[in-house]
Amino acid sequence: MSNKHILLIDDEETIQEVVQLGIAIEAGWEVEIASSGSQGIELAENQQPDVILLDVMMPEMDGIDTLSQLKNNDKTSAIPVIFLTAKAQAEEKNQFQSLGVVDVITKPFNSMTLASQIAKILEWKL
Amino acid sequence: MAGVKKSPTKNSLFKAVFQHSSEAIAILNHRDRIVEINATGCQLFAVPKKKLINKSISKFLVSSINWSSVPQSGKIQIKQPQQQIKTVEYKQISDLSPKFRLLVLKDITDDQLQTAAELELHHQRVELFAEVTLKIRQSLQLIEILQTAVTEVQRILQADRVLIYQVFNNGTGMPIEEAVLPDFKPILGVNFPEEVFPEDYRQLYTRGRVRAIADVRSPDADLAPCLIEFMDEWMVKAKLVVPILQNFKSPCRTQGEHLWGLLIAHQCQAPRQWTEFEQELMQQLADQIGIALSQAELLENLEELVSQRTAKLRQEIGERTKAEAALRHSEEQLRLIADGLPVLIAYVDRQQHYRFNNQAYQTWLGLSPQAINDCHLLKVHGTEEYQQIQSYIETALTGETVSYERELVLQDGCVHSLQVTYIPHIQAPKTIQGFFALTSDISDRKAIERMKDEFISVVSHELRTPLTSIHSSLKILATGKLGNFSSQGQRMLTIADEQTERLVHLVNNVLDLQRIQSGKITMNKQACRAEELFVEAVQAMQDLAQEQAIELMFEGNNFVVWADRDYIVQTLTNLVSNAIKFSPRNSQVILSAAIEHHQLQKSTNSYIIFAVRDCGQGIPQDRLETIFERFQQVDSSDSRKKEGTGLGLAICRQIIEGHGGQIWAESCLDKGSTFYFTLPKLIHGENQADE
Repeated sequence: MSNKHILLIDDEETIQEVVQLGIAIEAGWEVEIASSGSQGIELAENQQPDVILLDVMMPEMDGIDTLSQLKNNDKTSAIPVIFLTAKAQAEEKNQFQSLGVVDVITKPFNSMTLASQIAKILEWKL
Repeated sequence: MAGVKKSPTKNSLFKAVFQHSSEAIAILNHRDRIVEINATGCQLFAVPKKKLINKSISKFLVSSINWSSVPQSGKIQIKQPQQQIKTVEYKQISDLSPKFRLLVLKDITDDQLQTAAELELHHQRVELFAEVTLKIRQSLQLIEILQTAVTEVQRILQADRVLIYQVFNNGTGMPIEEAVLPDFKPILGVNFPEEVFPEDYRQLYTRGRVRAIADVRSPDADLAPCLIEFMDEWMVKAKLVVPILQNFKSPCRTQGEHLWGLLIAHQCQAPRQWTEFEQELMQQLADQIGIALSQAELLENLEELVSQRTAKLRQEIGERTKAEAALRHSEEQLRLIADGLPVLIAYVDRQQHYRFNNQAYQTWLGLSPQAINDCHLLKVHGTEEYQQIQSYIETALTGETVSYERELVLQDGCVHSLQVTYIPHIQAPKTIQGFFALTSDISDRKAIERMKDEFISVVSHELRTPLTSIHSSLKILATGKLGNFSSQGQRMLTIADEQTERLVHLVNNVLDLQRIQSGKITMNKQACRAEELFVEAVQAMQDLAQEQAIELMFEGNNFVVWADRDYIVQTLTNLVSNAIKFSPRNSQVILSAAIEHHQLQKSTNSYIIFAVRDCGQGIPQDRLETIFERFQQVDSSDSRKKEGTGLGLAICRQIIEGHGGQIWAESCLDKGSTFYFTLPKLIHGENQADE
């Protein structure tokens, strides 16, 4: 199993913890945490993760604005982004995909199967 | 021979005849001079014979005559010396001798005078009759007619008493009008005893008898003693009685005439011989009175008819006025209600012209009902707006009720959400006269809906985020990577995990149902093979089926439907999930599809009927309908036992109805249930997919 570097941008601490732990247990991947959009952009620029898990509903800068800045930034534009959202319905999913995300994972999800979902989306081999 | 008379010669005989003829005879020569004339002739000319002989006859005529050119007989006028004119009938005999002409003359002057006198008398009678008739006819009032009649007859006949006696139906009668000289007592109003006017008299008068009695006491009068006694009482010496027959030409009565009464003239001073003229005059006046009576009666009937008709008309007009007032009142009330309602109400005719608008058109749109009445919708709403609503108008005019929502800036300058409904006005037989347009402001409802959506959205987010943490934490714990639990601890962990799963489903279902019901979702319809739908649903349910030892099977999968793949798979998954939950272990759940021309569908399109059959406990008949409602389960404990949310079938129904299909269940207790739903079969050419 190749080691992957995941960046999670989410303001919810419990989500940060369960995602970090779940992915670590399931796949052994390293999960970097950012609690805000701006922090996430900075970390993405510096650390060049393999994928960014981006929460949509966040205070100050929400997921959509963050995505926009990531996509408009040469250093981060190529990094695949997966939205984590509680709102995702079919039509919203289509709308998000048109903004440039590779897929949408709907809350509530099971962090113990999250790595498998990501691998399936990005066609990684676990 | 003395003493013996000589036999007269023929010539002397002719001479004697000529001389003694009672007719005047003259002989004229070829120059019309008198050559001989007899004594009667001289008398006729009132000139001695010697003054006549050898004189031209023309000298004694009013105008000269050429005897050769006048007819053989005729009339001439002779001028006597005292300027008296005599009218004479002549006859000329000219063929006895070519030189002489014989004239036979007869004085007819007196005959002519008598004829003229008779003519004059007749003329006077006609004039008198016309005058009286005119007076009688001038009035149509019965009393006036009768008064005039008796007065005029009394005046003309110089009778002492003239009366009109009316015959009643019972055979009796009495004088009802009278003109009597002051010297004699009036008979008006006196009832005549029946014996003085018996039935046989009535019959005679009915047949038109005129009774002229010169002397009532004369045996020739042949009057009954009681009648003579009655006459004496009223000093009657002579009388003339004529019948007044009514309707004698009326087609309403049979040939028998109706004896209305009698016109009677009395002479009280002395007996009197009634002349023919007087009798005729009385008779004719009685006829006129009869006619006038008929006319008066007709008038009376006519007046009564007019009066009745007028009363009826008045009543009708009154009723109509009342009805109109009631209608006006009703219209005013209706208008008041329509104007008072906070909705736009209009009636549009088949030609798309406004025929009614309530006051809200003024307050909402600034369109005065009076200004837009009779105007075409295009003119009132403008081309752009009309194009947006045109299809709905056309639908309504085909007889279908149609509703739609739109947003519009109203008079207050704000955007309002409006719900518009067109209800066709259909008159038998199936004629569309127009439609009623009702527009209500649903801005408040829309605002509440938005708030509700936001609320659900926020709540769902707020629920889903902690659920993610709980769910994930439990899953991590269950791995044992963070330490092992005691068996009781493991049991509690399992319960927490299962209930969290359930809570996740519930939140997902609440959101699904809310979104489908709100109409916000768009069905992404495409050609779907039944087989593919079955495969997806079975794969999703395979783990659960294996846990319950249920075999999932599908058949009849060669059909293509026009549907949203994800939603139909969700429906099938829901139904299969239920079937698994309620089936005994080691049984089968069978998915099938068949073509069905479903009778319940309004259109004639073909439908594919899908079925999910289980061998479970079955559903009571009285619950087969309610299970499709929210939070309705066969047994209230099912939701806990079977971990259902009570929303799955409600979501299925919303999805299927959103496809224009139907969903229902059939069941047999302890044998199993079958859930059916229909989807429109793909119509060839609807897209590129093959069946």
